[in-house]
Amino acid sequence: MPLTRTLTLTLLLIGAVSAAEVKIAYVGPSLHESSSGRGALQGLKEAQLQGRFLGIEYSLVEAKPSDSDVLRGSDAILVSGSPDQVQAVTRTVSQQAVPVFNVAAAQNELRTACAPNLLHILPSDAMLAAAVAQWRQRSEAESVVAQAWHPAFVKFAARDLNKRYKASWDTDMDDEAWAAWAAVRIIADAAANLPEGNVAERLSYLRTDLEFDGQKGAYMTFRKTGQLRQPLLVVENGELAGEAPVRGVAASDALDSLGPLVCSQGAAR
Amino acid sequence: MPETFSMKSLSRIVIILFSFAVALTARDPTGYLFVTNEGDDTISVIDAESGGLVKLIEIGGRPRGIGFSPDRTHVYVALGDENAIGVIDAETLEVVEKIPAGSDPEAFAVHPNGNIYLSNEDDGEATVLNPATGEILAQVQVGIEPEGVAIGPGGDRVYVTSESTSMVHVISVPEHEVIANILVGARPREIAFSADGKFGYVTCEVGGEVVKWDLATNKIVQRKKLRREIRLVKPKGIRRGPSGDTFFIATGRGNAVAVLNADTLELEATIPVGRRVWGMAFTGDGKTLYVTNGIDNDLSVIDVAARKELRRISVGAMPWGVIIDD
Repeated sequence: MPLTRTLTLTLLLIGAVSAAEVKIAYVGPSLHESSSGRGALQGLKEAQLQGRFLGIEYSLVEAKPSDSDVLRGSDAILVSGSPDQVQAVTRTVSQQAVPVFNVAAAQNELRTACAPNLLHILPSDAMLAAAVAQWRQRSEAESVVAQAWHPAFVKFAARDLNKRYKASWDTDMDDEAWAAWAAVRIIADAAANLPEGNVAERLSYLRTDLEFDGQKGAYMTFRKTGQLRQPLLVVENGELAGEAPVRGVAASDALDSLGPLVCSQGAAR
Repeated sequence: MPETFSMKSLSRIVIILFSFAVALTARDPTGYLFVTNEGDDTISVIDAESGGLVKLIEIGGRPRGIGFSPDRTHVYVALGDENAIGVIDAETLEVVEKIPAGSDPEAFAVHPNGNIYLSNEDDGEATVLNPATGEILAQVQVGIEPEGVAIGPGGDRVYVTSESTSMVHVISVPEHEVIANILVGARPREIAFSADGKFGYVTCEVGGEVVKWDLATNKIVQRKKLRREIRLVKPKGIRRGPSGDTFFIATGRGNAVAVLNADTLELEATIPVGRRVWGMAFTGDGKTLYVTNGIDNDLSVIDVAARKELRRISVGAMPWGVIIDD
């Protein structure tokens, strides 16, 4: 018995000494007072829990787009801001291949620019429009919008994520909170699977091997444009009405029926 | 070292003696199926032979995980919304007790020593409950959304999956300490073991795969992705086949039961069943397999040797788990 204990302790100490450290920078509105910030912190808490079991430490620091040194020294960056800010941060760290996660801008142009180190967690305008169009093919409802997330979503494990977020922040999870949560969890997926990997190797893992569980049922991967493939939620008059791809219009695993975009001419890839 | 060794041997002997005692006091089986209906808070008790409803038990509280006590006199049911384990008398079919079991119990396994190891989905814990006294013996911190629980082949390890942390946690018995963590695929749900007790197999629902690991080293030795062969596959339930050389997998929205070779993980057969298949129960003779179809609100009855569905049995709303008293 004492031997077992000693061994366990030794293993823990070894783990602590060789712990991988993942530094995430966050560029956006106040961490504790914005959806993006709260979502990022929720994701961080969950990544840290997994990290404890694997000997990986995660940190999240606020940074300004002008903090080049901080950004370049990070393992990943979340940007909740305008397309200009997203692009400026992406350019700042492009040499280092630090993955930048756009968690708040839906503009199609950001996707078609196809920057190699820029990934989009929030669905694009094209995806949202496609989801609404699919829904309209099936019904004539008037006030229809598509969203990445909804606090009334319970299917799959959405109920659990909504509960965890509400318990942490006493407010409902919205699209921007989900996107920031998902970005941090995706960063953790890459780090857990490649604990010894560098930023470039992890970026490559994200683009080719990721199968992310965003708690919307489907496994999620990135398109060539850097956009996260994902099911969307359809909301009629404020009420959750269904999911897209819309059953009867497209197959439920046909995630590319939702607004695929192609890289513009002269784009990086 | 010698001390640890003898302790382990002693606990094995105790378990073996206990199992003998159980065998001696066993009653005649009723041949009833018990099905948890998550959607309407009931248990369907079905006569397996006739397919007829014997009783609908209004148990309440989002019933999901279900299992027998070691002597099979009682049926335990995880009641997530009541934070309790419901206890049903297997003969009278009355609910005799609801034992507080920590927050949101979802699934569990019953150790041969009688203790219930259960997952508390919404607060990331595994709880060890003595149902005889109602005492909570331990609460072990695991990952997010713990789900599948399995007692290891030797009884000295318990394995718990955490769905949102993508892990299998290895817990020592009787110390109740997490001694290893295995990173597996996305959303791991249920665990089964090889007949020789050397390997574990875990279904990964969102990863669309079955992952096999070595119980001695806790290292993954093989993975089998099922997406290419079974569209929309989301593996959930897993049971070792009666011959020991296969595993049967309930594939969720794959709407089929997959039969995998235990050694190679090759897909040997795909048996079409109902929609969103999750729960599984083999009869004692291994000839028949019952599975729950969560969207069709019924069970599929499968001829194991022929590897085909024979018929359906209607149950309640969103059936989750199934066990058979035979």
